[in-house]
Formats: sequence, structure tokens, C-alpha cells
Amino acid sequence: MSAGSPRLGRYVLNGAAALSLGFILLPLIFVTWLSFFRQEIPSFPPEGYSLQWFAAAANNKSFIDGFVLSLQVGIVATLIGLVLGVPASLALARHRIPLGPGVSTLLLLPLVMPGIVLGTSTYVFQIEVELATEIPVMGSLGGLIAAHTLVVIPWVVRLVTASLAGFDRTIEEAAQNLGAGPITTFWRVTLPSIRPGIVAAALFGFVTSFGNLEMSLFLVGPGRTTLPIAILQYLEWKIDPTVAAASLIQIVLIGVAMIVTDRYVKLSRVV
Amino acid sequence: MSTAAPEAVAGARTNLAGLLVVPATLFVAFMLIGPLAILFRYSLNKFVPGQFMVDALVIENYVKFFTDAYYLNVLARTVRVAVLCTLACLILGFPLAYVLARTQSRFKNLLVIAVVLPLFVGNAVRAAGWMTAFGSRGALNASLMGMGLIDQPLEIMYTEVAVLIGIIAVNLPFMVLSLQSVIEGIPRNVEEAAFSLGANPAAMFRRVLWPLALPGILAGTILTFILAMNAYATPVLLGGPKFQMMGPLVYGQFAQQNNWPFGGAISFILMTATILLTVAAHFIVQRRNR
Repeated sequence: MSAGSPRLGRYVLNGAAALSLGFILLPLIFVTWLSFFRQEIPSFPPEGYSLQWFAAAANNKSFIDGFVLSLQVGIVATLIGLVLGVPASLALARHRIPLGPGVSTLLLLPLVMPGIVLGTSTYVFQIEVELATEIPVMGSLGGLIAAHTLVVIPWVVRLVTASLAGFDRTIEEAAQNLGAGPITTFWRVTLPSIRPGIVAAALFGFVTSFGNLEMSLFLVGPGRTTLPIAILQYLEWKIDPTVAAASLIQIVLIGVAMIVTDRYVKLSRVV
Repeated sequence: MSTAAPEAVAGARTNLAGLLVVPATLFVAFMLIGPLAILFRYSLNKFVPGQFMVDALVIENYVKFFTDAYYLNVLARTVRVAVLCTLACLILGFPLAYVLARTQSRFKNLLVIAVVLPLFVGNAVRAAGWMTAFGSRGALNASLMGMGLIDQPLEIMYTEVAVLIGIIAVNLPFMVLSLQSVIEGIPRNVEEAAFSLGANPAAMFRRVLWPLALPGILAGTILTFILAMNAYATPVLLGGPKFQMMGPLVYGQFAQQNNWPFGGAISFILMTATILLTVAAHFIVQRRNR
């Protein structure tokens, strides 16, 4: 980069970047490697390779149940989060709202709240609600979904308002000059241009919910465990290729979802 | 949704806009502020062994935390780990963020996915990767012993080093993404202008890139600091039961001790410490920007 040795500078920079990227990916590489081991004990070098642990993971009831529950909670929480968050973002980005900055800070707050504190406070809140109404909220699916919706909303508000901020409103005016009514303008001009933001919000909201550990830890009931908690509990007991295989399946599913999403919305633009 | 159409009647617009923001606001207020208020109230209650929680209005739970060397040690260790991890993330993250922001490569999206993917697979899975590497017969020890560099396996599992490595790897993508988005907004010309005026790379970085990237540095630092302060899975799995940090401490008070008042108090101490340190960083940077 410097005048004297531009090439050397570039090599050093790229080398440092590659090192960091490797560091980020290293744990995933080890998990992938371990899932193909033949022996059960994670000792190196492996005695051989086998695919048997994928069958073991697919037959592990707590992983399967956890996966199904995480999927359900993630999808429902994301949908509710979009229904609540997209109109709120439109209002915040477009209109003068009393206490506007305060409202948008409040909506973004769950994102920076410590997960553990969200977990403990939601836990005592659900206990109080259950005591007051005698509705069994604690450990229920509804209680878990409500809590997850709380961490989806900030992603929706953040990504949708960001995509509205870069939006050129003269396009809307042009549409209206050409005779489009407010409804047509919204559906044919506004919505298509914020669609990347909405898709990104759905992806990030879902993944935040799917991977949530700290908060869910307090809210799951007996016999109802999300996948991250099932994996954590298994790892507290032991590490073996079965849990690695379950993790690898999860990595592959999320990776495919991201590459598919990337075809519609460039991830490098929305993150 | 059509009610959000931008060119509604001027008078009706504010009303409708107000309505649109209300459901989400009510939901978050109800699900976030309400619970925090109840938790704070709990933290002022008394815990009587055998009787569980007894209604009271005392600060003894907070006093207990700040007068017991054990708990103060856990807080100090948590802050130390969080500060070290945040600094390491900034140093490791900047070159990667810069290369990602400036690259013309066709594979840029793939590189971004490689940074984002680990974020999405969960902390427990990534801790599992490090457990594979750090065990006494794990990849690191096996290769070091295979090369004849050491006779005895290094004890890395269940140490602060293992936890530091784990949390840095977990938080690094957040830092990289925060920095990358800001660096992408800095025109290349500014850097070239600095070079053509005779700045060397170090001076260009210090006088041009760093000040312009400051908002991203701040955002990334705050985010990684909050996450490190509140880490749970990484210290539990890589630090073991003896390596206590604030997150596992809070969970233990609720799940194992059933001491909700003290657990609530520790939650608030953790949250307050995080917010105070974050706000302090924010003010320092804002003043500098002025």
C-alpha cells in the first residue's frame, strides 16, 4: 500500500484478513471434521471415517424435538414480528410521531438487552401473569413465542427503516404524477423497493429466534426444549460425533438458506 | 397497509401513522419494561431458605453482592474478559472488514456469508468446535505432540484462555460487519488523496480511515462488549463449572439456588454495568467528534 512496497502492504493486509476469517471458521471446521469420525471419542488423529453419526443424530429424540420446536417458534415469532414491525417502521421512517426517537429506541432496545436479563425478567413476568390470570403461561409454547417475538421486532425495525432511509421519494411522486393513487403507489413502488429489507428482516429475525439460547433457557418447560438448548445440555455432558453431526446438519441448512436468500437480497448490503 | 401510503390527507396522516406504530410499541413496552419492573421489584425482596421469596423492601441483595469478594471477583473477571475480547475483536476485525469492504472479487458475497454463517449456527455449536480442538487428546494437543513440541498435553480446556478464544471467535463477525458497512461508505478517493499528499499507510489509517470509520468502530465495540459481558454458553462449556462469569452466575441463582431476589439483583448489576460502560464509551466518542 505504501509508495515503496504497495504489493507487500497488500499481502500483509490480505494475510491478516485471511487469518481472522480462518479464526471465525475454525470451530465450524472442527465440528464438521468430528462428525465424520469413526470412533466415538474425539481424539486426534481419527482412526477412520464414517457416516454412522448422522443416523445417530437423526434418531436422537431431543435433537429432533428441539429442531421442530425451534422451527415452529422461529417461524411464528418472525411472522408476528413482521406484522408488528413493518407498519411501525413505515410510520417511524415516514411520519412525524410524538416521541419518535424514544419510540424507535424502545423498539430497538431488545437487541442490545443482555439475553440473560431478558430471560430472567421474562421468566418472573410470566410467573406473575400466571399467578394473576391462572392461565398456564410458564413453559408454554405461547410464552416462548411471545418472548422470541420481542427479539425479532428490533431486527425488523432496524432493517426495514434502513431500507426506507435510502429510498428516493421522488419515485413515488413520479408515480402519482402519472396518475397512480396512494394504494397503487404503495403496492407497485414502495413495497417492491423495500422488499430486500423485509426479506433480510425475516431472515435475521428467524435466525435470531432459532439460535436464541440465553433467553429460552429460562422459558422452556419440561419436555419442551429448543435445539440450541438440547445441544448445550448434550455438550455439558459430553462431546462426541453425534452432537457434531447434529450441528453440521444445522450449519448446512442455515448455509443453504443464506445462499438462497443471497440470490434475492445481497447480504453484503443489508447486514 | 395501504393506510401507510405516503400521500394521505395531511390531517389524517399523523393519526394513521400513530396507529401503525402503536401495536409494536405496546408489545415491546409490555414485554420488556413490565418484566424489568417486576424483576427489579423482586430484587428488593428477601430470600429466606426454606421459605423461598419473602416480600420486603430491602437492598440486602445488592449489599450482599458488593460486600462479598467472591461475587466482586466474578464481576471483575467478566469485565476483564469483555474488555480483552472487545479489543481483540477490534484488532482482528479491522483488516478483514477493510478487505471485505474494498474487494472487487466475484466471491465477495461468499466471503460475507462465511463471516455471517457462524453467527447463525449458535454459540454452543461453536464452543463444541473449540472443545474438539482443546481437549487433552484434541486436535491442538495431538498436533503439537505429534510435532514433538510438547511432551504433556497443554491444559487449555476450562481456563480463561479457552473462554477468551471462544468469545473472541463468537463476537468477531459482529465487529467485522459493523466496521465493513461503515468502511464501504468511505470513498476510496479520500484514501488516495491522503496518499498523494504524502501520507504513509500508517498516517492515512490514523488520520483518515480511523476517524471516518469511528461510528462503525463505536457500534461494533458496543455490540461485542455487550455480548461478551453477557456470554453464557461459551464460559459454561469452555470455562467449566469453576470459571464463573456473570451470565452463568445469574442462571445458577434462578435454576439451582431458587434465589430469585439475589438472581434479580445480579441481573440488574450486570445490566447496569453494561449500560454504564457503554454510555461512557459513547460520550467519549461523541465529544471527540464534535
